[in-house]
Amino acid sequence: MPDPRSEQDLIQLVLSGRPEYFYELVQPYERRVFRAAYGLLRNEADAEDVVQEALLKALRKLSTFRGEARFSTWLLRIAVNEARMRLRARRWDYASVSIQDDEGSEYVPLLLANWREVPSVVLEQREVREQIEKALAELSAEQREILILRDVGGLNTEEAASALGISIPSVKTRLLRARLRMRDLLAPHFRSAPRWQERAGRRRRSWF
Amino acid sequence: MVLSCKEVWRAISDYIDREVSQEIRREIEAHLAQCRHCAALVDSTRNIVILLADDRLFTVPVGFSERLRRRLAAEIGNEKT
Repeated sequence: MPDPRSEQDLIQLVLSGRPEYFYELVQPYERRVFRAAYGLLRNEADAEDVVQEALLKALRKLSTFRGEARFSTWLLRIAVNEARMRLRARRWDYASVSIQDDEGSEYVPLLLANWREVPSVVLEQREVREQIEKALAELSAEQREILILRDVGGLNTEEAASALGISIPSVKTRLLRARLRMRDLLAPHFRSAPRWQERAGRRRRSWF
Repeated sequence: MVLSCKEVWRAISDYIDREVSQEIRREIEAHLAQCRHCAALVDSTRNIVILLADDRLFTVPVGFSERLRRRLAAEIGNEKT
């Protein structure tokens, strides 16, 4: 994280007619914004395009950034709105809305697999990333958005609530359901891959 | 008070985010020490959260930063002229 002062200085520089400093301002966040866009769109070219459009927008309306939110949160909000517009153009993506988000139903874990430790090395494997993408595609649009904002984008509960225009309890409920659904979708794959468990044995690390 | 499994499931997300009170936290931990299934559920859900936050998930394509920088530079160039 850059120190807030230098970020503030860069914002002032850009606003005072030195837009060439804008890239330096957004560079620490470009990857995180991409990851969020990719999580929502699951297409590299679209995600890259969304990042570019969102950052151009951020440049044009930088003077509206009031410093009440973190700058990274402000950028992520713009990117999520941009991704939403793109999704609206792809109607099929909303076909599944509200099927999973059945607030009335009681959650029961699908499979209580003994999946207690996953080494970070699993992410270096393409299959794992593919499984995560597939699982994301299974979520409702609402669940996916909250998961991306909170767990990929790193927004806190209040920031996510304000970004989505929903209450804090709604953020918590949606996030709980989204995480449990992801867990149910992914746990069987992790369990059925003994070679990851072997690696876990060799390179054990605790998560927290 | 003893928490049921269902109560633990409902609190999992807040528990992982450390957004539960000390008291609830202790009750959840007492339950997890006794209940292998809930312990596995908590650990695997936490793993999901960790995987999603990992920088290596959804890495940017080759040349991404360079293209972004060029696009911004083009925009800035247009505005200045």
